[in-house]
Amino acid sequence: MRYSVEVTNLDKFFGRFQALKDVNLQIAEGEVFAYIGPNGAGKSTTIRVMLGILQATRGSAKIFGKDAWKDAVEIHKRIAYVPGDVNLWPNLTGGEVIDLFVNLRGKYDKTLRDRLIRDFNLDPTKKCRTYSKGNRQKVALVAAFAGEADLYILDEPTSGLDPLMEQVFQACVLEQKAKGKGVFLSSHIMSEVERLCDRVGIIREGEVVQTGTLDELRHLTRYAMTVTTENTIEGLEKLDGVYDIVKESYGLHFYVDTGKMGAVINHVNGFGIKKLESVPPSLEELFMQHYQKEAV
Amino acid sequence: MNFANTALLTRFMLRRERVNTLLWILLLGGIVILLVPGMYYALPPDERFAIVDALSMPAMVSIIGPAFAVETQTYGALYTNFMMLFTALTAALMNIFLVVRLTRTDEEKGRYEVLRSLPVGRLSNLSAAMITAVIVNALLALFVGLGMYAFGVALEDTGMCFNGSMLWGATLAVTGLVFAAFTALFAQLTASARTAMGYSFLALGVFFMMRAPGDMNPDLVLLSYLSPMGLPLYTEAYISNHWWPILVMLGTTAAVTVLAFKLTSIRDIDQGLIPAKPGRAYASSLLKTPVGLAYKLSRTAIIVWLICLFILGASYGAVLGTLDEFIASNDMYQQLILGPFGITIPEGLPLEEAVAILRETVALAGFTLPQLFSAMINLIMGMFATVPAVLFVLKARSEENDIRAELVLATPVSRYRYFIGYVVIAFVMAALVQAASAIGMYSGGISVMEDPADFPLGFAMQVALIYVPAIWVKVGVAVLLVGAWPKKAGLIWAYFGYTFLFLFLGQGFGIFPEWMMYLSPYAFVQQLPLAPGESLNLLPIIIKIVLAAALTVAGFWFYRKRDINAITN
Repeated sequence: MRYSVEVTNLDKFFGRFQALKDVNLQIAEGEVFAYIGPNGAGKSTTIRVMLGILQATRGSAKIFGKDAWKDAVEIHKRIAYVPGDVNLWPNLTGGEVIDLFVNLRGKYDKTLRDRLIRDFNLDPTKKCRTYSKGNRQKVALVAAFAGEADLYILDEPTSGLDPLMEQVFQACVLEQKAKGKGVFLSSHIMSEVERLCDRVGIIREGEVVQTGTLDELRHLTRYAMTVTTENTIEGLEKLDGVYDIVKESYGLHFYVDTGKMGAVINHVNGFGIKKLESVPPSLEELFMQHYQKEAV
Repeated sequence: MNFANTALLTRFMLRRERVNTLLWILLLGGIVILLVPGMYYALPPDERFAIVDALSMPAMVSIIGPAFAVETQTYGALYTNFMMLFTALTAALMNIFLVVRLTRTDEEKGRYEVLRSLPVGRLSNLSAAMITAVIVNALLALFVGLGMYAFGVALEDTGMCFNGSMLWGATLAVTGLVFAAFTALFAQLTASARTAMGYSFLALGVFFMMRAPGDMNPDLVLLSYLSPMGLPLYTEAYISNHWWPILVMLGTTAAVTVLAFKLTSIRDIDQGLIPAKPGRAYASSLLKTPVGLAYKLSRTAIIVWLICLFILGASYGAVLGTLDEFIASNDMYQQLILGPFGITIPEGLPLEEAVAILRETVALAGFTLPQLFSAMINLIMGMFATVPAVLFVLKARSEENDIRAELVLATPVSRYRYFIGYVVIAFVMAALVQAASAIGMYSGGISVMEDPADFPLGFAMQVALIYVPAIWVKVGVAVLLVGAWPKKAGLIWAYFGYTFLFLFLGQGFGIFPEWMMYLSPYAFVQQLPLAPGESLNLLPIIIKIVLAAALTVAGFWFYRKRDINAITN
């Protein structure tokens, strides 16, 4: 398989503070990869190392098989980047900034640019200092999608967009995906990740704690179950992999580890099932599960 | 409820400002206070009258303000005449920076919005900023007043009484406050920190210019009274000690502040009352390269600097017409000009004879007076021109700090290609700024000189451009700092201060070991005009250029090797 991104045993120190600990990521060409994690977990630092803006302390980051630090310029010819915190030049207009980025990257498609400006409902004649956060993000997004790229590196690109613009953004990503382009998306918006992404990586305190497809990740987690039976269920708490049993008027509500589902159903079956609901974990819950480990 | 929590906000602002503003007060106040004994010893009583004459010349009055009580000059009066306008100007600058920082900058960065979401009144932020300004200026006034009085007591026969000293401090404070109020007003009119500062500087400039004719011509003195840059001088501290201008200035401050309050309560957050006009929808071809971007971002500053230095040059040039009388009546300039020839003009000689001696000496040596004078002025101009040049290098650093450099570096633009734009502008600016002041001085000169051949354009250029390699060395140091030690890039100003100090003190005072002088590139600038038979020494010029190039290359090398905008603890 050919990888667009290969991060191997990456460590990054800022002075004595270790921002990234042994990060490993492999993203296939044409894959849409979601990079999720709480604020300050190291998402942006990983991206900056991938862009050659920061140098890896140990390990390596390769994009298209080239070294992110040494071959930055070569790599950047084929990528588009949208930063999380879009700071633009206050005295340039949005249109000027878009043109600047597209020009610097080389391939300029004026029709596409104008269409995107229309789609994102952006006024390109305003000075950047007057733009809200969402509008600054739109400028960066239009600049990213108006030029050709093989890999789009997007750092929380929609945190300031309204739901309508979020739709426009998702359409842009799906369009690139259909063309076989890769996307590296750091995001907090789980619906977006579930809709767009092939695979997910979760980073926490500088460490990648989980990577896999959504299905794979779900296997590692619990289903929420609601059961209504003719007779009162007994002995459920003695089973392995059952958690948080709550007695409700209609029956029981509890969580089951994915691998223990069969045993639970067998057990419950003996009490005369009237109704059984099982809900797969949402990414949100999955995410919370990893976040909450911090609190423990 | 418009002022809810103002006291808390004020405390918060004072805390935020404690380092920055305290430094301003200490530096500004310290210089004013320490120059009291400094000038006292540099100018023995019998030489003071020469200075007084010089101060009353119209050209000088237009730059440093009116000269009061010329006949009965005490040392204190002389000091006021000489120093007050520029000190007040600096106090005004301090206040403009302070108020913009506390109002429009906060708003632009979104900090103001956060505060406004708290139980904070609509006018609380602006009132807190103005109260902070009042406190800061009061501290400055006390520091200056007490400090000057202390030296007034310690030194003999200065005429620096307590009343006058406090008046001195109060004058600085009220000038500062008026400009704090004007800045607060402009912060409501404009939609950004940058334009608010621009309007404030413009007002400062206009008020400064406006008082010049008023100070020179008693019939027009109303112009000076109407200008907050002119009125402060009419307190005549150590001369007549008028307190009424202080009251007028306080009244102005109050009136302008009230107006600013009115405006702030009718405008929306993040908006100005003067709307921003729509800009380009498409970029010009300039924005196709990183160098073009650097130029576009710096263009306004480039033009403003060139105009300023042209004007500065022209104002020195305007003195060239009456130069011989000016120098003959001024001991200090006499010494500077005639000293190298080993000639002194005897005391008490009538002015015409002194002028004759001066002309003869200079002509014998094969020079003209305008040449010698411009060489002397360029010593300072050559120092001053470093400021814009270095600022353009530091621009690369602030772009990085504002998280904009990485936007460009994420495109196929190498570190070198990105950085070089700012560095090229800095190097070119060093030469352009010097050329602008030379052309300014030449144009100012030919309009007033009897014989323009005394000061040809070629010489004006030569005497200015000879400093360019020295400026380039400093630019090189700045490039190295931004490349290798970005967090401490501001150290370039310490080096600037060092070279400045040694330009004036290094040679004469003998306090410091001689080698320290040679750490400044200015120590290696050949003195112009060339004597007959002397030729231009190219070696120091070449060495400085090579040194500047080496520093620059090293700076680039480090810049390629380091993290951009690393968050370090």
